[in-house]
Amino acid sequence: MQFQNEIKSNEVIVFADASLYSKDSIFKCLYWYGDKFHTNVSFADSGTYRVSLKPISTNQLSNLELELLLQKLERDLIDFNLRDIVTKETQNVRDLLIAKAFSNGEFDEMPPGNVSDPVGFNVNKVAND
Amino acid sequence: MLLRTKGKPINIEGHLVGKVTRNPDLLDENSFLLIDSFVSELPSKNFMGVLSRQDEYEVKNGENVVFKIPTLDHLTDGDIVSVGNDGNINTLYRVNSFHNTLLATERCNSNCLMCSQPPRDKNDIPIHYQIHKKLIPLIPKDCFELGISGGEPTLMGNLFFDLLSQIKAELPETEIHVLTNGRTFAWNHMAERLGELDYRRLMLGIPVYADYYQVHDYIVQAENAFYQTILGLHNLARYNQRLEVRVVLHKQSIPRLTRLAKYIYKNLPFVEHVTFMGLEFVGYAPHNIDKLWIDPFDYQNELGEAVEFLAGQGMHVSIYNTPLCILPENLWKYARKSISDWKNDYLPECATCTKLGECGGLFTWNLKKHSKHIHPFTS
Amino acid sequence: MIDAIPDKISRKFKEKDQFDLNRNSQYYLLPFRFHRLTDEKEIIVNEVGDYLILSNGTFESIVKRKLDKEKDKDLYGDLIANFFISEELIPPLIDVLATRYRTKKLFLNYFTGLHIFVISLRCEHTCHYCQVSRVTQNRDLYDMSLSNIDKGIDIMFKSPNPHVTMEFQGGEALLAFDHIKYAVEKAEQIAIEIGKGLTKVICTNLALINEEILEYCKEHDILISTSLDGPKYVHDKNRNKPNASSYELAIKGIELSRKLLGHDRVSALMTTTKLSLDYPTEIVEEYFNLGFQGIFLRNISPYGFALRTDTSKYETEKFLAFYKKALDRILEYNFSGYHFTEDLAKIFLTKILTPFNVGFVDLQSPAGLINGVIVFNYDGGVYATDESRMLAEQKDYTFKLGTLNDDYNDLFFGRKAQEIAQLWANEALTGCSECAFQQYCGADPVHNHATQGDMYGYRPNSDFCQKNMEIIRYLIELMESDSRIKRIFESWAKTATH
Ligand code: SF4
Ligand code: SF4
Repeated sequence: MQFQNEIKSNEVIVFADASLYSKDSIFKCLYWYGDKFHTNVSFADSGTYRVSLKPISTNQLSNLELELLLQKLERDLIDFNLRDIVTKETQNVRDLLIAKAFSNGEFDEMPPGNVSDPVGFNVNKVAND
Repeated sequence: MLLRTKGKPINIEGHLVGKVTRNPDLLDENSFLLIDSFVSELPSKNFMGVLSRQDEYEVKNGENVVFKIPTLDHLTDGDIVSVGNDGNINTLYRVNSFHNTLLATERCNSNCLMCSQPPRDKNDIPIHYQIHKKLIPLIPKDCFELGISGGEPTLMGNLFFDLLSQIKAELPETEIHVLTNGRTFAWNHMAERLGELDYRRLMLGIPVYADYYQVHDYIVQAENAFYQTILGLHNLARYNQRLEVRVVLHKQSIPRLTRLAKYIYKNLPFVEHVTFMGLEFVGYAPHNIDKLWIDPFDYQNELGEAVEFLAGQGMHVSIYNTPLCILPENLWKYARKSISDWKNDYLPECATCTKLGECGGLFTWNLKKHSKHIHPFTS
Repeated sequence: MIDAIPDKISRKFKEKDQFDLNRNSQYYLLPFRFHRLTDEKEIIVNEVGDYLILSNGTFESIVKRKLDKEKDKDLYGDLIANFFISEELIPPLIDVLATRYRTKKLFLNYFTGLHIFVISLRCEHTCHYCQVSRVTQNRDLYDMSLSNIDKGIDIMFKSPNPHVTMEFQGGEALLAFDHIKYAVEKAEQIAIEIGKGLTKVICTNLALINEEILEYCKEHDILISTSLDGPKYVHDKNRNKPNASSYELAIKGIELSRKLLGHDRVSALMTTTKLSLDYPTEIVEEYFNLGFQGIFLRNISPYGFALRTDTSKYETEKFLAFYKKALDRILEYNFSGYHFTEDLAKIFLTKILTPFNVGFVDLQSPAGLINGVIVFNYDGGVYATDESRMLAEQKDYTFKLGTLNDDYNDLFFGRKAQEIAQLWANEALTGCSECAFQQYCGADPVHNHATQGDMYGYRPNSDFCQKNMEIIRYLIELMESDSRIKRIFESWAKTATH
C-alpha cells in the first residue's frame, strides 16, 4: 500500500517504511521537534510508520511554513536514520576505543603485517629484558 | 669526496680500525702511520700499522701494511679508518666534519622508490658491528653529532641496542641521530627496550610520506609500512623518545602533502622536528625518476602551505636540500644548509650568486638533475 | 619462536595498486557524527574532534557504501586517514586513536584546579543584574571567617592537582582585603612546604584599588581580574555605583594596576546584558583601545536572580547576532595585522583545530563541575560552581556539596557529587549523543537545572545548546569560506594551548 506524505489543516504527516527506518531514528528525530510540536508516531500499516507534527501554539501556520516544515521533517528523518546506522554499526568499535583510551596499553593490538627483510629479520627474537 | 681507497695488504688479519697520522710522534697502538713518500726508518714503538703510497714495501718488523695506495690526500691526522685484509681502506670518521655517520647495515625491510643507498640482501650486520665496536672508543669525546644510518639500523636487533649503549657510555656528550623507518617499533618491546636506555641525546629520524597508507606503502614499497611506522612513532612517544619526522618531496608525496602536515600535527604532535627534503638524484632515484620527478619550483605552494601550517601550530620545521633561489622568500627562514660537506656542490652559475654564502646548494649528484629555475641572485 | 622465513621477494618495484590492502573495496564505518553546515556543505566529526567538510549528500554515500575507491580516490583517502572509515573491522591504528582520545580528555587526570573563595558577599555596587551581593557593614555575617578560610585552604591542598589556583571573589573581594592577606600568606606557606604550584587571583571591580593594595599584590605575585562591560555608557548603566562612575573607577584602576604590576597581570571580563546587545563593535573597540589582547564575549549567566530580572532577559538569537557582529570587528583587527582574540571562539577552536583540550569549566564533557572547579562560599557552604552558589542565594541548594566542615572525600565523592556526575558526559545525553559538535561542546547540568528545572536538560529549547551549536557552526563556516580567517583561527587555537 502506498502512503503519501501530506499536510492536513495544521498538521504535517510523513510515512516511513519500517524496513528502512529504525524506530530509534524516528524518536531521535522527533526529540528535536518536541518543544514546538505535538509529535506522534503510529503504524499506518504493519510495515509503515506514520509520523505527525502539530504545533503546540494555537496559531495557525501559513501554507508556506507548513510546506517547509514538511520538507524539514522528511530530510531530518533521513538524516537521523543515517546517523542511527552509524551509531549502531560502530557501537562495538566505540566501546573498544574508550576501553583502550582508559587502559595503559595492556589491550594494544598486534601490529599488522611483518617487518622482515629478505635476509630474515625476526622482530620477536629481539630480547625484551 | 673520497671515502675509500685500496692498496696491497701484507699481514693484515680481519679488520683493523685505527686513527691515522703522518706524525710518528703521535703514533700509538691505535693508529696507523701514513706514508706519502719514502720513509727510511719506522719508529720503534707499538702501533697498528702502515698505510703507504709506495709502490714497493719491505716489511721490517712483521708490521701490518697496506701499500701501493693511489692516494692518501683525503686523510687528515685523527681520521679513523678500517683496514681490511683485502687492502680496502674505508674512512669511518673524519675529525674535521660535522657529518659523521655509521652505516649500521645495508639490509632493509623497505625498498623506497628514491632510496639513496639501495639495500643489499646480505647479512653484513656482524661485520659492521665488529668494526663499529672498535671505532666508537676512538672517536674524540668532543664529537658534536654522530649519525647512524642504513639500510635499516634496527634490523641489527639486539646489537642495535648494544651499539647505542656503547655510544652512550663512550660519547656521553655527543648528539646521536638515527635514521630508521621506525617500523620495528610498532612492536612495543622494541620501543620499550630503547626507552630503557634513557638516552636523551638520541633522536630518531623517521620518514612519513603521506597521511594515507597506500601512498606511503607504495613509496617505501612495503605493505603495512605506514601503519607500522605510525604505531612505531606512538610507541616511541610512549617511552619519551625524541623524534623527527622526515618527508621527502617528490611526485608521489606532493599531492597529499598539505594533508600530511595536518596529519602530523593531529596524530604526531609530540614530534620535535619536521623536515621536508628535496629529492636526491642517486641510488634508486635515477632509475625511478619518471615516477618521482617534479621540478621543485612547481611544488612550492604545497610546501609553503605545509611548512607554514606546522610552524604556525608551534612545531619546529626545516626545509633541507633546497636551494634558496627555488624557495619563496617567506620560506627562507626554514631552509637549512643540510647537505653533508662531502656531497655538497653548486652549479657554475652559483659562482656569481650573492646568496651563495647562505644557500645550502645541491647534492653533488643533483648537479645532473636539478630545477630548471635555478638562477643566481644579483643583489 | 621460529625465524621468519625469508620472503622470496625480489627487489623489483611494484605498482601502486599492489599496495591496496583492500582490493574488494569493502569498508567499515568508524564512530563519527554528522551535521548540515550550510545549504551546500555538510560536516562530519570523528571521535577525537577531527572534521571533514563535504558537499551535500556525501554523508549518505559514505553510510550507504556508495563510495568508489577509485573514482573518489581523494575522499576515500581522507576518510581512511582521518578515522572515519576503516578497511578492517578493527582499524589498524585504533591504539593511536585511543591515545588521541585520552589526550582530548586529559583534564580528567587533573582534578580540581580552581578554588573560588567567596571572601565577602558585601559590595559597594548595586548592579541591576546582580542581586546576590549586599550593601552592608555587617562583616560577621557576610565575610568569610578566618576559620573557614583555614578549612578552605586545607581542602584546596588536598587536591591531587600539582598546581592549584586560589581565586578571591565577592561581592567585592577588596572589602575584605585583610582576610585576603591572611589567606594568601597562609596558602603560600603551605604551598612551599608541600611543593605545590599556587596561582592567586583577586576578582574586583577596582573601585577600592589603591597603591598599597597593589604593592601587596606585586609582592605576592597576585593577578587582578576585573569587570569591564564596554564603553562608559554601557558599563555605567550595567554597573550601578551610587554617586560615582563605575567605569571611571575601573579604567583608573586598570591603569594603576598595569603600572604597578605589569600590563599582562591585569585581565578583564565582560558581561553581556540586554543593553550591551546594541553595542557589539563599540564594546570590542573599547577592549582593543585599552590594550587588551582579546575579549571574552560571554552571555549573561542565567543563574540566580539574574534569570528573573526582566531588564537582563534577552533571547539567545539576539546574543548570537551580537556575537557575530562583534566577531566581525575582531576579525577586522586581525586582518590589519593585530593579534586580538575572542576567548569563547578560542576555546571552541582549540577543540576543533588541535589535538589537545582546554580546561574551561562550562564547556567540558565531562562537565567542569567539581573536577575542574569548587566554590567555598563566605558562609562555609561548598558548591559545585560559582553559579550554583548563586542559586543557593535564592534558596536552591541543589548543587551544595556540603560545608567546609565536611570531610574531603564526602565533598568530592559524596552522594551529591555522584548524582551530578551521572550527567557529566554529554556523550550520554539525548540530543547530544548524536550531535556532530559533541566533541567541541560540553555538558552543563547546573545551567540545565537553572534554566530548565532539571539537570538532564532538554536540548531543543536550551539556550546553552542553541548558542553553542550556532557559534561552532558559524566558526567553521567562516574559516571554510575564507583561508585568511582559517589562518587567524589557527593562530588563536595555538595560543590557547600554550
Ligand atoms: S643560484 Fe646557486 S647559490 Fe644562488 S640560491 Fe640558487 S642554488 Fe643557491
Ligand atoms: S548541547 Fe547542543 S550543541 Fe552541544 S553537544 Fe548537545 S546537542 Fe550538540
